[in-house]
Amino acid sequence: MKTIAVTGGKGGTGKSTVSILLANKLRSEGKKIVLCDCDVECPNDHLLLGQKLKDPVEKVYAKFPKLNKEKCRRCGLCVQNCRSNAIFMPPNGYPVFLHELCSGCGLCWNLCPHKAINIEKKVVGEIFTTSVGLPFYHTPVRQIRNFLVSGRSAGIVEETGPIVSKTRKFAEEFAKKVKADYLLLDTAPGTHCSVIRALIDVDLAFAVTEPTPLGAHDLKLILKLLKKLKVPTKIILNQANLGNRQPIDKIAKDFGVKIEFEIPYSEELIKAYSRGKLEGINIL
Amino acid sequence: MKICITSSGRSLDSLMSPRFGRCPFLLVVDTERQKADAIENKNASAARGAGVATAQTVSDQGCKIVITGNIGPHAFSVLNAAGIKVFITEALAKTCEETLRDYNNGKLSEASAPTGRGFGRGRGRGWRRGRKN
Repeated sequence: MKTIAVTGGKGGTGKSTVSILLANKLRSEGKKIVLCDCDVECPNDHLLLGQKLKDPVEKVYAKFPKLNKEKCRRCGLCVQNCRSNAIFMPPNGYPVFLHELCSGCGLCWNLCPHKAINIEKKVVGEIFTTSVGLPFYHTPVRQIRNFLVSGRSAGIVEETGPIVSKTRKFAEEFAKKVKADYLLLDTAPGTHCSVIRALIDVDLAFAVTEPTPLGAHDLKLILKLLKKLKVPTKIILNQANLGNRQPIDKIAKDFGVKIEFEIPYSEELIKAYSRGKLEGINIL
Repeated sequence: MKICITSSGRSLDSLMSPRFGRCPFLLVVDTERQKADAIENKNASAARGAGVATAQTVSDQGCKIVITGNIGPHAFSVLNAAGIKVFITEALAKTCEETLRDYNNGKLSEASAPTGRGFGRGRGRGWRRGRKN
């Protein structure tokens, strides 16, 4: 099984669209695909495929600190050492833990000399699986070749990296179970933690970009990141016939990365996208 | 009583800073001793929770009042919990001294809610970056 990530730095360049187009291309070659939506803050691959996220198959938990006031001596050690600045101690009160800022790293409960911090588990995200392909009544279940795994943050934490990791791990196991040929990871925009967690150790990454100044700027950032992660990379240029593509060509040359596909602007594609009917489109 | 003003410099004649959590300096003005001390805000470049950490500094200094231009939800709620009052100024092009005078003349209003959604990592759009769904 090969793992391919679709990323791109800039938001709105068409990462999700390209992921699905790529899945369609591989599917037309007779491959079995599991697509994993790693943009857990805003999963939308299911919308483009005209699907709904129904019942979660798995819940993602995270650990949070909870104070035991009887044991706390107000020493302030946790407040001084919290790297997320998620703990506040008022002048005459006990420490307050702000779960929204907390990354659940566990420093505070390991550090507390009085063992006054307990661990509380909370659901921070959900994982969904959706069968994509012909409807059930057309084909026997086992012949359906494609699955979508989507992670979704419950909106409790700012740091969604761990949710991405869990979603990816679930998708990897799921892909092994259904004997998929390819696992496609559709990452979030940006170059932060939740993107990195989707990009580590993939076999190939496609950086999707567009011929605009911002597209070029963010392409450079993601290529730098991918170089650091030592991931083989190729570029996909979306809306290739619009704007100015010279900066993109130059960056591709500078980084020694090939522009693998060029997707011209097409009204058909946009119509299919906005109607949630990308499943039948194979243009790559 | 101690009053804290978010400042862009070390003295009372520097411009005030419109941000709370990521202001470069905190000016702690002691109204009884008629003295102002500048504290460099180490949290200005914090990856996360700059407002909360700055609120902790303000609280540790024993300030009872904060004067700033904007304040996010976390910083506001913890200052509230610590019993520190927040006054918002809209005249951001003034020096700290002028702002302090405005406060003494009763021209500033006390904040009853955060003025924004935090201006750090979420860039003022909340951490969903303004996306819906």
